[in-house]
Amino acid sequence: MSYVGQSMPMMTNARLAAGKGMFVDDVQLPGMTFMAVLRSPYAHARIRGIDVSAAEALRGVLYVATGREIGEQTNPIPETYDTAAVGAKGVSWYALCVDRARFVGEAVAAVVAEDRFTAYEALDLIEVDYEELPAVSDPEQALEPGAPLVEPDWGDNLMASRDIRLGDPDTAFAEADGVVEGVVKSARITGAAIEPRGCVASWDPYKEALTFWDSTQAPHAVRMYLARTLGIADTSIRVIQPHVGGAFGLKLPTFQEEPLCAYLSMKVGRPVKWIETRAENLLVGGHARDTSFRYQAAYKADGELTGIRLDVIADVGAPSALCGWGMSFVTWYCLPCVYKCENSETHLRSVVTNKCPWNAYRGYGKDAASLLMERIMDHIAKATGIDRTEVRFRNFVQPDEFPYPQVSGAMLDSGNYPGALRKVMEMIDYEGFPALQEEARREGRRIGLGIAMELTPEGCSMPGSLMLNGTDSTEVRITPNGNVIVLTGITSPGCGNETGIAQIVADALRCDFSRISVVQGDTETCPWGFGNYSSRSIIIGGSAAQVAGDEIHDKMRQVAANMLEASADDIEVVDEQFVVRGSAGRGGVGFEDVAREVYSNPHGKNMEGIEPMLQSVRQWKMPNVYHQPEKQGRFSAYPSWPYGAAAAIVEVDPESGHVKILRYCLVEDAGTIVNPLLVDANLHGGIAQGIGGAMFEQIAYDESGQPLTATFMDYTLPTAVELPRLEIGHQQTPAPFTPLGTKGVGESGVGGTLGSLCSAIENALPEVDLHLTELPLTPSRIWEAIRNAPVPAGAAA
Amino acid sequence: MSAVKTSITVNGTQRDLDIDPRLTLVYLLRENLGLTGTHVGCTTGNCGACTVLLDGKTVKSCSIFAADVDGSELVTIEGLSTGARELHPIQQAFVDHQGLQCGFCTPGMVLSALALLEKNPTPSEDDIRHAISGNLCRCTGYQFIVESIQAAAAARA
Repeated sequence: MSYVGQSMPMMTNARLAAGKGMFVDDVQLPGMTFMAVLRSPYAHARIRGIDVSAAEALRGVLYVATGREIGEQTNPIPETYDTAAVGAKGVSWYALCVDRARFVGEAVAAVVAEDRFTAYEALDLIEVDYEELPAVSDPEQALEPGAPLVEPDWGDNLMASRDIRLGDPDTAFAEADGVVEGVVKSARITGAAIEPRGCVASWDPYKEALTFWDSTQAPHAVRMYLARTLGIADTSIRVIQPHVGGAFGLKLPTFQEEPLCAYLSMKVGRPVKWIETRAENLLVGGHARDTSFRYQAAYKADGELTGIRLDVIADVGAPSALCGWGMSFVTWYCLPCVYKCENSETHLRSVVTNKCPWNAYRGYGKDAASLLMERIMDHIAKATGIDRTEVRFRNFVQPDEFPYPQVSGAMLDSGNYPGALRKVMEMIDYEGFPALQEEARREGRRIGLGIAMELTPEGCSMPGSLMLNGTDSTEVRITPNGNVIVLTGITSPGCGNETGIAQIVADALRCDFSRISVVQGDTETCPWGFGNYSSRSIIIGGSAAQVAGDEIHDKMRQVAANMLEASADDIEVVDEQFVVRGSAGRGGVGFEDVAREVYSNPHGKNMEGIEPMLQSVRQWKMPNVYHQPEKQGRFSAYPSWPYGAAAAIVEVDPESGHVKILRYCLVEDAGTIVNPLLVDANLHGGIAQGIGGAMFEQIAYDESGQPLTATFMDYTLPTAVELPRLEIGHQQTPAPFTPLGTKGVGESGVGGTLGSLCSAIENALPEVDLHLTELPLTPSRIWEAIRNAPVPAGAAA
Repeated sequence: MSAVKTSITVNGTQRDLDIDPRLTLVYLLRENLGLTGTHVGCTTGNCGACTVLLDGKTVKSCSIFAADVDGSELVTIEGLSTGARELHPIQQAFVDHQGLQCGFCTPGMVLSALALLEKNPTPSEDDIRHAISGNLCRCTGYQFIVESIQAAAAARA
């Protein structure tokens, strides 16, 4: 019986469905106090002074902290993406603004009070003397000479830039049969986990130890960063990740509030809880994707893409210690995604503005790269008159070309792109669609079909990073009673990897699944690990679990062989019985017998020359990461390259611009699948978030940097009514660099939505030369694009 | 603030409470009564994580003052499962059909499903999607939630 490959519901389901989960706001400690944060109302302001006397005088207020104190008493929050290692500019970011606020919502002061009412009331009593400074919220304006500077010390608003020429773009453009050009902009969005961020800090002044519950993805990293910020030993901190109510990258450390809460607990000597409001979450909880592309693509008459010229501007918001800005590099790094194009000229600029900093968000820039390439493919198809799928087939990296060195320095590990596209075309009945479209047209309905590929590299490992790292560890222990406990360095904010890892370990140990329990997210008990992001949990954590399980199984097999007076090579396991090969049903020793023998007779004959106990901590390092940069600074940070082919059918109302998604199909290659049910579950979530960003969601600011989307009434997540039934198909090309061939699936599904929905909407209205250039595809944008589109010559008006 | 005397029945047990008039129902449940299965996702009545049944109808408990529900009967997620590990059939359907991931929206989602099935035992997929449209889920794309509710409806039939 093999568990890998079986659909099994998550091990956590019953507890969560019962409402008995333990989320961070459910943590209650004796003497608990509450932290509230005063935030800058200005996009850019100097803080000339703060008067906290009235707040301090309010009954129930225990402590008020300002940036001056934090600047003196704590260290800057360490960067999670090493700016210096990749030639970018960095800042010293403290848990409170020391003398200047750089975006609306940046933390200016904090109150600890006996209860939340008092804490919020005290915020109103704090008097801040602000000097408003000029702010910039548009990234193109931020690049103009004389623009207000987000960081005056920098001299400009450019955090990082890359100019890379590959191959011979000049010749490619000179010899092209045609050139398409255009603009694509994807809006600023956020993950908006339904559970907001939050933490509980409990400092024990006598033990000089901090216990820190955090709705985070990376407890070990939080421990390390808290220790550095607070100037205490990391071994005096225990970080516990309770159940996490969704994260999607945005709960990667370290925000201002985490060290702030810990600092204040040390000050008041009592537990301090901080739970953000939804408005705070949308204001400062990390943003993403806000990227614009100007592109030119050279092509041959047969649809071959021969050259790309690209100007990318990523608006990363204000610089911080968060790792989100790195998404702008990853966008470039993915290009040209699943296609071959040797000649390119890229000008990438990561621009800072007076807006909320980026933090990582599902897709991590890969989504934007797929959007760009799929728009280019559609435009070449339109320009040449060749079918959209055919243009893609002609440009794919072919299945026999892996591992394929992509021009960015990336090394694509494996795949079958044409196979995935063919499969999704079958699912959606691509050949039959024109008849369907014509039939709908006769009924007065306008439907369109769009397709898009997505490429979602995973297992990120950045040079110099103590968080974005291609290694992890798992510990497997078997008790004398024969129960198995698995402790992991990776974590699960609700995506089910604990179940997948238990499946992997059960197979490695040849034991029943019910023996296994999994512990995650506790720095005191779990081995060192980097947590959950970049779909790394099954690829890296699962691989570590596999080797730890294998090691224990080898020992048990040897002990069983000794017990049976046979050679270990002759032992097989049937229904948890270790037996001499071919003698199943005729004696043998059980799983529990072997476990008991190991522990109870360490000096016996069956344990001669064998290390006692059944415990193994094993590490896994992805073998195919290349960090020594070559001469243009390129390196290969991603070891695993899942991809997918998406197809959407939409109905468009040209009078209102309203779009209804009728069908959405995705064929995904996540390598070997450990748990098909949970792979589908993750893909559904990725697609839903992708559709949200493609159609509905936008974090908006006005020109002065004032946010306009502070509630879920303004930042509109898709509900069950807007989303269609999602159809998933699989293709499995095992990864060559992991023991099981797993590739990761956590971010897949997002990228394909963007291009396929643009493509489908344009396809619904063939009589207008529609070019959708800006996400989200709101009704007003579509309506406007229809009104502005030139009517092709010869078409009926 | 002077407390307001309020009597409510919560999961079948009558409670006579002195309530801070600033307290919303969700915090009464969570912090005063220890019923932490009801979650707070927005406090603006949009996300539905705080959904409970008030006299049989779904309400968003973040947007109601606790003192205003005097004389009412409340059911929270804790009222659906009894004691040890028993789950309501709708909860069990969510478990079996993976109608959840992080579990944060799940209690509200289950209560919305319960209210639907009490009113309409044989809902269409569209009925289900509309019935849970006041409950946001960010993990599942709703698909397995819809399938869980379909399975629960089929099991009741």
